[in-house]
This record gives sequence, structure tokens and C-alpha cells, in this order.
Amino acid sequence: MFTKDHINDFAGGGVSRRTFLKGCAIAAATLGLSPDVVPKMVEAAMSPKRPPVVWLHFQECTGCSEALLRAARPDIATLILDLISLDYHETLMAAAGKQAEENLHNAITKNAGKFICVVEGGIPTKDSGIYCKIGGKTAMEILGDVAPKAKAIIAIGTCGAFGGVQAAKPNPTGAVGVQDLIKDRPIINIPGCPPNPENFLATVVQILTYGRPPELDELGRPKFAYGRKIHDHCERRPHFDEGRFVERFGDPGHKKGYCLYKVGCKGPVTYSNCSVERFCNIGVWPVGVGHGCIGCTEPGFWDTMTPIYKHLPGIYIPVGGGIREQAEEIGKVAVGGAAAVIAAHAAVGIGKKLFSIRCSTENKDEEK
Amino acid sequence: MIRKEPRLYYRVFVWSGTLRLFHWTLAFSTFILILTGIYIHYPPITTKWAEFKPLYIMATLRYWHFAAGYFFICALAVRFYLFFAGNQYERPTDFLPINKRNLKSLVYNIKFYLYLTDEHECRMGHTILAGTIYFVLFICGVVMGLTGLYLLYPETPTIAKIGHELFGTPQQARLIHYLLNWFFIFFILVHLYIAIWNDFNAPDAIISGAFSGSKMMPADLECPVEELEKIPFEK
Repeated sequence: MFTKDHINDFAGGGVSRRTFLKGCAIAAATLGLSPDVVPKMVEAAMSPKRPPVVWLHFQECTGCSEALLRAARPDIATLILDLISLDYHETLMAAAGKQAEENLHNAITKNAGKFICVVEGGIPTKDSGIYCKIGGKTAMEILGDVAPKAKAIIAIGTCGAFGGVQAAKPNPTGAVGVQDLIKDRPIINIPGCPPNPENFLATVVQILTYGRPPELDELGRPKFAYGRKIHDHCERRPHFDEGRFVERFGDPGHKKGYCLYKVGCKGPVTYSNCSVERFCNIGVWPVGVGHGCIGCTEPGFWDTMTPIYKHLPGIYIPVGGGIREQAEEIGKVAVGGAAAVIAAHAAVGIGKKLFSIRCSTENKDEEK
Repeated sequence: MIRKEPRLYYRVFVWSGTLRLFHWTLAFSTFILILTGIYIHYPPITTKWAEFKPLYIMATLRYWHFAAGYFFICALAVRFYLFFAGNQYERPTDFLPINKRNLKSLVYNIKFYLYLTDEHECRMGHTILAGTIYFVLFICGVVMGLTGLYLLYPETPTIAKIGHELFGTPQQARLIHYLLNWFFIFFILVHLYIAIWNDFNAPDAIISGAFSGSKMMPADLECPVEELEKIPFEK
């Protein structure tokens, strides 16, 4: 067990004991664990054997790393100095060029089978993966070198998990997520654009404490963070049930904070804890500030969740608008067509009947 | 006149009580599902901007939608059972174009509906054209039921797994659920029209048959399709 002094010594480098314990308690709360495990977490987090982490960047915008830099529970300094040993991270490391490549090589050979590999960004596979190269090696080659030696892989962000915007139709570079290439390593997907850094931190702490990944759903996402629908925990849900909707951005309903369903909120089909965990430590999240959810934690969201301001997808088929408009056009044509066919059919029937009556009267006349 | 009226008719019992129960359950549940579904898809403005007494309209209509959905699924289950255990007219072998006789009949149906022939095929069960479309409707109903269950219980492990395999994310299931809705609207329009049209043009009295389960068959059955069963009226 640890002592007060021990923690103070440990946390001497800029993080107070209070902050540190708070960080662990928040990680436990995010994971949905009881406060009893906090000491165990503190112990795991203080262990001198900080797990080495290799952070790979492929086709991405560094938004996930940016989001992580803004984490405050615990902050990035605590994370990379106290919780993990961040051996390779292209944005944060001091090394560059050949030295950086060496660091990566050393990290994966020295810690083979022990390190956590974090993958940020999609991996292009078309034309042997030439669309993303670092130090003369393709993303596929780098992942192929690093991933088999990792203890576990965390795919951070929708790109790493499912391919993201690169994989949107027509997917010119053949981008895929980590799980499409690596099959024999445990993979934890933390999707989102960007994901909430607390979900990432909580996953890391879970692996540290228990030595195994958290429970995952069918898409490989931790259930503690992605097990519930945004819609079911949304503060605007009563307005949905009540039938009070924002019709247009800036209208009186919008000002009153009504439900954003009609302006395209994807909360009803999106799994994430955004509505509960919120962002940036000041309790904000998209719906809270009046913008609908865009469904960024779901696979293929660029294809299935767009247009962002319509609640059904806009897979663009031959010409014209989104699929809902197209479907409605088809629907209108079908219903109109059905009505027209019915009318024409009825008219022909009636016409024919009238004609045959006339004929039969004529026949009768002839018979007379 | 073209038809030899008046004629002598048998009243023949065709549709079992179970089948009629299925028919009307499906009809009423589909009706409610379409109306509530359209509201859920695009809720019109029902509440003034000013806060006033609670309506709870979306929640209520969703409640009706789910309740009707259960009746819909149960009705389909009954129909599925009747595919195997129903009387001879209720089994797919009788109304799907899977043999020579049925194919011949199908061509004849289409001609009749296009006014290319005046002689109505007096047929005991479904006509082949109707039967085929009902079968397609059944399949669409199953897809509606599955996507509906997936959307209602996306977090139940088994349903989530099956739903994910079949349809992808709930968002994709929602799109399928919405698009098929149009097929049901289209079907109802045509079905009602054809039923009424048939009542004018054919002697079977199929609308009354939907309640009574019987059809009127001419005693001097003269049908172009041979081998048509002449089953005496028994009840």
C-alpha cells in the first residue's frame, strides 16, 4: 500500500496529491466503478513500472491529440509523466528525424509484448498503402511492425477505429480502421471526432489497474463510455417527448432550448457518454450549446449521418438531394403514380362498361 | 351483357378464422404504424412556442407505434404459422407462381386487370398476382419488424448483435425502416382499390369474404384455367 508521503513524493513533479487522487477518482467514476477501487487505481498508477505507450499517427488531423492535451482530469502532464511512459508520439516528442525512428524501434523491441499501442488516424490500403508514409515507410508497414508486438491496441478517434473521413465514400485511398487489419491483438476502439479524452484516460487506467481491457460492445467500444444512447441521457429529451422541436436555427424554440431532432440531431442513433461526461471540464457538449449531435462515434458516420442537418442519411444516389429527399420524391411519385394508375384504371373500366351498355342496347334494338 | 347474370352460386368457405384475425390485426396495426410513424419521422408543429400544458405527444405516439408494432409482429407470426399449418388456400404452394398451373393463372390475372379479357377467373384462394404481392409484403413486414425491434432495443445484446449483422448501425436500420414504410403506403392504396374494383367486376364478393371467410363460386364454373378445384360447400 501507499502512504501519504509516498504520494507526495510521487506527485512532487507539479501535481498535488489532491489533484492526483481526484484524477484517479474521476477515472473510476467514468468507468462506473465503486470508490473502493480508487486506492487500487492509485497504487496501479503509482507503480514504478509505468506501461510504455507508443502513439502512432496516420491519416488524421491530430484533433484527438489536441483533445487529449486539453484533458484536465488528470491533465496531460500527469498522464505522460506519471501514469504512462509515452515513448513515441510524433506531436509531443522532442526527438525528430532519425532519432525519432530509433526511439520507435527501441520502444517496440525493448518492450515487446508489454507496451500499449495507440493508433490515431485511418490506414490507407489502396496501391500498397502509399498514401500515408512516415520516414519512407507506409502506414501499413509501420502498423505491421508495431501492432503484433503490442500488448493491446487502442484505436483513438473514429479514423483509427473505423477509417473516419478518409474512409467516406468513395474512399479514394482505401482507408480502414485498425480492426480491419489487425486481428490477433486486443483492440479497443475509442471513436469520436474527437473522442472525449476522459474515455481514453479511463480506459488506460482500467488496463493499468486490472491488466485487461474494459468490457466492449460489438464495435469494440468500451461499454462504460459507449454503452448508452445520447438521446436517452439528453437534457433536451423532455422536449422530444413533448413534441417541442427547433424548426430552424435561431427560431424561438431554439432560443428556449427545445429538441434538435428536426434540425438533424443524431442523438437517437448514437452511442456515447457525451451527454453525461461532457467536454473540456466546463460541462459543455454539442447539444448543450444548441447544435445537434452529428453521430461521430458511429462507424461510417460521414456516409450514413450526413447531411448533418437532416435526420436521415444523404447517400447521394445518381443526382439531386440527399436520400431522404430522394426517398420522398420516389414516395411522392409512387403515391401519385398509384393514384394516377387507379384513376386511369377506374376510368377505363367505367368507360368500357358504358360502351358495353350502349352496345347491348343497340343489339336489343336490332333484335326488335 | 358479357357476364351471364344472374347465375347460381355456391357459397364456399375459404378463409379460416385465424387468417381473418391475421388480416385485420395486420390491417389495423399497419394503419396505426404508418400514421404514428410519419409523425415520428417528421413531427409537424403541434406545440406553440409558449410553454403550456403538457401534451406529451411524441411519447404517446411512440407508445402507440411500439404497441401497434407488437400486434404487427404477432400477426406476421400467425401468418408464418399458417404458411405451414393453414388450409390449402393459405399455403404458399397455392398462391406463388411456382408451378405451371399457377404461372398460367398469373398471366391470366394480369390480362384481367389490364382489361384484356373479361372472363374473371373464379378461384378459390388468392389469385396468383395477389398472392405473390402478399408474399412480398410479408417479407417486407419481416424486415420492418426486425429493423423496428433493432431500433427499439438497440442495447439488448442479442438484438444488437443480429441487428448489427443484418443492417449495420441503428442509423442504417432507421433508413431501411423509413423507406419500406412507403411500400406499405403504396400497397394499402392499391389493395383497397383492387378489392373494391373486384367487388364491382367479379362475383366472388371478396370484401364480404374478408369478414365472413367465404367466397361465391358460380355453380356453372366456366374457367379458362383447367383443373380448378370444384369443392362443394361444406361448413
